[in-house]
Amino acid sequence: MWRTSLRAGCRGCRGFGPKGIWGSHAVRRCSAPAPAPAPAPALPAGRITARQAVDVWKRHFEERGVTEPDNSSHYIIAHLLGAKTIESLEHGKLTEFLSREKTEQMWQLCTRRLSRMPVQYVIEEWDFRDLTLKMRPPVFIPRPETEELVELMLTDLEMEPGAKVGADGQRTCLEVGCGSGAISLSLLNSMPQLKSIAVDQSQDAVDLTRENALRLGLQDRLQVYCIDVLKDAETVVSLCSPVSALVSNPPYLFSEDMTSLEPEIFRFEDHAALDGGKDGLKVIKQILTVAPQILTNHGRVYLEVDPRHPPLIRRWVEANVEEMHYVETRHDINGRPRFCILQKKKSNKDHRLDQD
Amino acid sequence: MSRLVPFICCMYGRVTWRGLPLLTPLPPGLPRVLAAGKKDLVDFPVLNEDELEEQFVRGSGPGGQATNKTSNCVVLKHIPTGIVVKCHQTRSVDINRKRARDIMREKLDVVYKGELSEVVLKKKEAELRKHEKRKKANDNLERKRQFKEALAADSTPGSDTV
Repeated sequence: MWRTSLRAGCRGCRGFGPKGIWGSHAVRRCSAPAPAPAPAPALPAGRITARQAVDVWKRHFEERGVTEPDNSSHYIIAHLLGAKTIESLEHGKLTEFLSREKTEQMWQLCTRRLSRMPVQYVIEEWDFRDLTLKMRPPVFIPRPETEELVELMLTDLEMEPGAKVGADGQRTCLEVGCGSGAISLSLLNSMPQLKSIAVDQSQDAVDLTRENALRLGLQDRLQVYCIDVLKDAETVVSLCSPVSALVSNPPYLFSEDMTSLEPEIFRFEDHAALDGGKDGLKVIKQILTVAPQILTNHGRVYLEVDPRHPPLIRRWVEANVEEMHYVETRHDINGRPRFCILQKKKSNKDHRLDQD
Repeated sequence: MSRLVPFICCMYGRVTWRGLPLLTPLPPGLPRVLAAGKKDLVDFPVLNEDELEEQFVRGSGPGGQATNKTSNCVVLKHIPTGIVVKCHQTRSVDINRKRARDIMREKLDVVYKGELSEVVLKKKEAELRKHEKRKKANDNLERKRQFKEALAADSTPGSDTV
């Protein structure tokens, strides 16, 4: 089992931002009182350089057990100074004195990090492949593994130029559980001829995906809907004309593993985006059950999963979803089985005509 | 060496001969190394993924949804030469992996081609351009100077032009 040290009873119930992370979807039960916030170092009286600010906060993060103390302070200062990484800062910027305003901002942002808020939420943005996306709690933060999911999908999609679906010759793809929109927007950005439909059961996620689509100018090729595929599969089916690809990074953690999550995840990210039920397969099974009704013949499903899932999914599909064929398992950069590719077998049945 | 030169001219689009850049059209049918969207990398050696060892620092732990770390440094090692490239230029692991490979190809280019490597060629070309620019600037200055002198001589009536 993967256990990370999590201070017992440490389930902070603080809200951040105007709505608070608990917002309108509060599902957490708090059994323990919130821990007293760790005191931040005092704002310096005189002027300090960016480098000095970084050193103060790095030390402070270390003292308070905040993970990735150097990365955290580096990303925050870089963001404040207009860069993505500390390495890409203009030469000499770090030794310049910070303005009073910038110093206060540094203190404000780093204090948020003290509460174990993920850096991506602290600076309210992160990069996914070649895109910069807005981030906002509790919408799930894209993980690096998922960049590879997009990569392998693009390779596949580009190798099948003949699969035209719509009247205008454009291909459509459906994403289940879009979160911040990372996968769909990345696909759209790399494939000008693609159209996408994205659904998520969280209104926060739907809002954020729409916002990111607008910021990237991709809103014309993306439709986003707030739908729970577990409760309302029929709506998903009726909204999507046959799609040539279905992609998802669905909640796939095992429920029992939820409690050992690091505070960055447990306290701040939507548990509904993580918890896949007892065996982590709750949402995956539903997606695969519904897939034949949504996909064109030979259309594919691309899933990111837990490393234990691939053989379980293969067996389950063979026994329960006759129309889907398990194609292959792909590994992530750490060598873990991470991606499942399945394909709809050619069928003579038109599911839409079934009047049950 | 003289037999090698035409071979090199065929393989690569550009070659210097005695310090002067030569543009040779590539004969059709010869394989070219193309890196999507990057004209500059056209002539770099191809990377064989089997010869590479890649390490990504993601910390211990299950990875995927269960981990949220911001470390995205990629370490790439070319086994045959032992060259190691480290890249954490961006916040995207995917981009860092691609850049690590670009840097690796640059380094391998230097190793394999030495004097003829892209890095060295570019440097020579840059120096040549700099030299030409300086010469042009000096010529212009000289012409301006002479023009001014001619003007000055014309505008003072009765003065003897020298």
